[in-house]
Amino acid sequence: MSTPVGDRFGGMGAGRTGDDGAADRRSGDDAGGGGPGSYSVAAAVRSPAALGVGLAIASFLAVFYHVVDVVGGATFLLMEVAVVAAAAAWLGGFLRQRTALGLTAAGLALALIGYFLSVPPSARALFTVGRVAADVIALLTGLSVLRLLNAGAWALFLVPVPTFLSTYLLVRRRHAAAATVGAATTGFFVLTGDASAGVGLTAAVGLTLAVGFSQLAAAGRAGVLAQWDTIAVVVAAMVVVTSVVTVVPGSASNPVFPGGDSPTVESSLVANTDSVGVLGSIRLSPEVRFTVEADESAYWRVGSYDRYTGGRWVRTGDTTPYTSGSLGEPPGESERLVQRVTARGKLDALPAAWKPVELRGRAADTAQVTDHDGLKPGTTLLENDTYTVVSQRPTATTGDLRRAGTDYPSGISSRYTQLPESTPDRVGDRTAEVLAQADASNPYDAAVAVERYLERTKEYSLDVPAPQGNTADSFLFEMDAGYCVYYATTMVAMLRTQGVPARFVTGYTPGQRVSEDEWVVRGLDSHAWVEVYFPDHGWVRFDPTPSGPRESAEQASVETAREEGAENVDAAGSEDGSYETATATPGSASTASAGSTPDIGAIDPGDRGIQNATIATAAGGLTANATPAGGGSGDAGDGGWTPTREDVAVGVASLVGLVAGARRFGLTDRVRRTVWLLHQSRADPNTDAERAFRRLEYLASIVYRPRRPGETPRQYVEALAGERFGDRARAVADAYERARYGGGVDEAEARRAVEAVDDLIRQHAPVLRRLGGAGTPR
Amino acid sequence: MGCERHPDGSYPGVLLRRGVCRVSDAEAEPETDPEADDEADAATAVDRDGAEPGGSDGLAPLPVSEAADLVDRVADNVSRVIVGNDAAVEHILVTVLGRGHLLLEDVPGVGKTMLARSLATSVDCEFKRVQFTPDLLPSDVTGINVYNQKTGEFEFRPGPVFANIVLGDEINRAPPKTQSALLEAMEEGQVTVDGVTRGLPDPFTVIATQNDVEPGRTYELPLAEIDRFMKKLRLGYPDRADETEMLGRTAGEHPIESLESVATTAELRRARATVGEVSVSEPVREYVTDLATYTREHAQLGVSPRGSIALVRASQARAVVDGRDYVVPDDVQTEAPSVFAHRVRPRTGSESGLDVVEDALSSVAVE
Repeated sequence: MSTPVGDRFGGMGAGRTGDDGAADRRSGDDAGGGGPGSYSVAAAVRSPAALGVGLAIASFLAVFYHVVDVVGGATFLLMEVAVVAAAAAWLGGFLRQRTALGLTAAGLALALIGYFLSVPPSARALFTVGRVAADVIALLTGLSVLRLLNAGAWALFLVPVPTFLSTYLLVRRRHAAAATVGAATTGFFVLTGDASAGVGLTAAVGLTLAVGFSQLAAAGRAGVLAQWDTIAVVVAAMVVVTSVVTVVPGSASNPVFPGGDSPTVESSLVANTDSVGVLGSIRLSPEVRFTVEADESAYWRVGSYDRYTGGRWVRTGDTTPYTSGSLGEPPGESERLVQRVTARGKLDALPAAWKPVELRGRAADTAQVTDHDGLKPGTTLLENDTYTVVSQRPTATTGDLRRAGTDYPSGISSRYTQLPESTPDRVGDRTAEVLAQADASNPYDAAVAVERYLERTKEYSLDVPAPQGNTADSFLFEMDAGYCVYYATTMVAMLRTQGVPARFVTGYTPGQRVSEDEWVVRGLDSHAWVEVYFPDHGWVRFDPTPSGPRESAEQASVETAREEGAENVDAAGSEDGSYETATATPGSASTASAGSTPDIGAIDPGDRGIQNATIATAAGGLTANATPAGGGSGDAGDGGWTPTREDVAVGVASLVGLVAGARRFGLTDRVRRTVWLLHQSRADPNTDAERAFRRLEYLASIVYRPRRPGETPRQYVEALAGERFGDRARAVADAYERARYGGGVDEAEARRAVEAVDDLIRQHAPVLRRLGGAGTPR
Repeated sequence: MGCERHPDGSYPGVLLRRGVCRVSDAEAEPETDPEADDEADAATAVDRDGAEPGGSDGLAPLPVSEAADLVDRVADNVSRVIVGNDAAVEHILVTVLGRGHLLLEDVPGVGKTMLARSLATSVDCEFKRVQFTPDLLPSDVTGINVYNQKTGEFEFRPGPVFANIVLGDEINRAPPKTQSALLEAMEEGQVTVDGVTRGLPDPFTVIATQNDVEPGRTYELPLAEIDRFMKKLRLGYPDRADETEMLGRTAGEHPIESLESVATTAELRRARATVGEVSVSEPVREYVTDLATYTREHAQLGVSPRGSIALVRASQARAVVDGRDYVVPDDVQTEAPSVFAHRVRPRTGSESGLDVVEDALSSVAVE
């Protein structure tokens, strides 16, 4: 039974290898169901690179989720993603990569075909190769996915493709490739404008982590441990730098750090873009935009929006070129109004009273008609360009509208009662309460009730924070003040919770009347309001914003600008004051129309005679509260600044980066060593004695020289004895020797050693002694 | 016996050598009488070795302080004869305490034999000397069965190896067969003659000398056999003052003649037991291993595990010499050159084993 030692070791080695092999096979069996590979989710996730892949996948899933949250189907999307990911994890165990790529390509083709079939047949007829190509280019140049009529179906058909591919690659431990797929998908959404800067950054961080850690993993576990802090520094730098230095134009309006100019109301509202965001603090531009010659004043409407994402308004559907007769007459009774509009600067819209039926002038050649029967210029209007619009304004009476009923066409009700699924229930509950209180039994009364409720309970202010989350919900429950965008958004959302079709409209208020038939419209007249649909009458305007305080703010802005001598504040004699007639400038103290607008077509809640007091309160609030940010006062946003989620994220990232950087350059180690040198916490005597010697060693390494590799503790303290360390150092080394090599030391000896070191530290490090404080040199 | 076969005249040695020879003869005299006792001792030794090799024979170990005291006394006593070589004296004591054997390599006449003799006298040990020559037979070392005509039986006449301290002089002059007889006795602690195994006395230490003056006429000890010596030392010439002092002392009666024992053999055995009790902590064991590994990585042939064991044993003895019951790295560092150097075969002829060991000591970190 005498096995040679060498053989025994050899046998043991072989045995262990065998065990390992068996373990590998077992794990392979678990994951792959008998497949030849050893790929499993557990193994793939154990690598730190998986964190990066997770971030990349999460980033594009967040965008998809946002899309379906807005248009419906969120639960279905989650289930779909879970099923696809599970399938990919399972297939990853045995499917070869080429097969998986083929499968992904086939899935993509199927998804596109499915989406094509889901589009209504009428719209499908429009599909040609040229149009599809144009659409793809449009998507990649900022056309939001949400503008697709069938965005929900698009998301549900397409989400499995990147989910499958990235999960499969993750399971195959191709972390970098998996993260690339995820980040590329997010990159697509960044181009379409659906991914916020934060989501894009998340994808970039994920990609960096995945690539970095999979590189490090090639050097094994030790490599990861040695270099993780480098990656942390890089990622932190990415996060912090991108949040401070913004080069993406879209997010320039919303940098993480406060400061900089607030955008104007107008820029956020009336350029007739395809979507409108809610920005927070804005200011008023006093420049004249255009003048209107018309028999009567009206709200000069620019565009309307149907899809509410919670934080933005998006117009879905395509535009078509304007041709004579392509704009239909409104249903029900209407009144003809001819307006001649002259641009007083660059104008990127075709303001007109609702509902335009005919457009004349050069602009008509290139104008586009939106899916909502709105007008959109093909080219920017230059100064003194003019055009003429003929509008048919609905003239339905209050009684007509009360009797209109709720027999909505299906296209209208599905399109204009959409709300994000994430909208809190309390919005609907509050609306129901408001309606019950006002005893509203039909859509018209409901709209009036909501309009009054908002006018009564909220104050007008341009200096408000950008809302977090759902704008309607935060304005309704958390904010006390806001401006037209908040009012209008909230009103639309509230009506939609009750199944009333409503949409968000932007444009200009009538402006300053300068003569019998001429109005001067400035940037600060830009406005947002609400249109509600009534069967047989079409879209009818409601304006929930209290007009008194708004006009005060606007007037103050104009006067400030005039005093400062700003250019282009006045036109056509507007500086001489308003043209005084019985139908004065909208919103003046005219008792007949207090709190609302004087034009005929609008529904005027003031006619019930209960608004005066409310408006007065609101106006009082404005003088105290709303400081127009315009006129160069520039004090916007210097109030109480509360950190947003982005600020917190950037803070955390910079903290992590600092710590990792400090570790990289050995700073933490040095700080830790200094603290440790100054103070020794006590444990058992042996540990104390050993640590006392380590401290002595560290101190002497600073003031004398480090211990050489082959130098024993005893030799070292003998060398130190010549450096004024003397017997105390010998005592410490003696205790150390006994603690480490001998039978141990008792409490008293350990204490003596610790105290000896304390003394030596005080004696040899004057600065440290001062920092150490209390100790008196013994 | 060993000396008897080689008349002094054939060796133009120094005065000291003659003295040694004479003394050893004289000491051999009383020993032949209590032969029965010797046999009995030997038998018990065999039993003991069988049960527990190197065991302490039930002797209570001396307290460390007393053991250190004993070492001091002996060292003082020896230095009355050996002038100015305290370090060598300590090394020999460490070897004896650590149950090892010593190889002295030096030119003739620097006091090798005198060192061994004075040590033996100091601890009241039996001392014998074997002069190795090219025609020395293994039985001349181990002993031989002689036919006794009176009793009509063979009786065993023990060789010079049956002593506490055996001086093997110029071991490299004998043929390998004879060398290996001594080396086997060193390793096993016993001798087998005609099928009968006889144990050697308990403190048993061989001090072998190697003459490197006339390499042409010698049988160089193979490295494998040198490995069996715990230490290898060079005494070297005394410096001017020491030599003058020595001349003064030896002018009249040689001090060795008046040397008296300062300790008993039993005390020596108990001190050896003390060495076995000295604790060697894990960091020290790791340090020894690291040193050995270093030599294996930086030389053609490094230190064997037997060498590591020897270093730990020597360090334990060194700790006792210093009056400690635990080993510190300093002990290891003191012992490493003499224990390791002769076991290392360097890569190039220009460096010695000692260089490699010193490199190891300066570059292996002491934890």
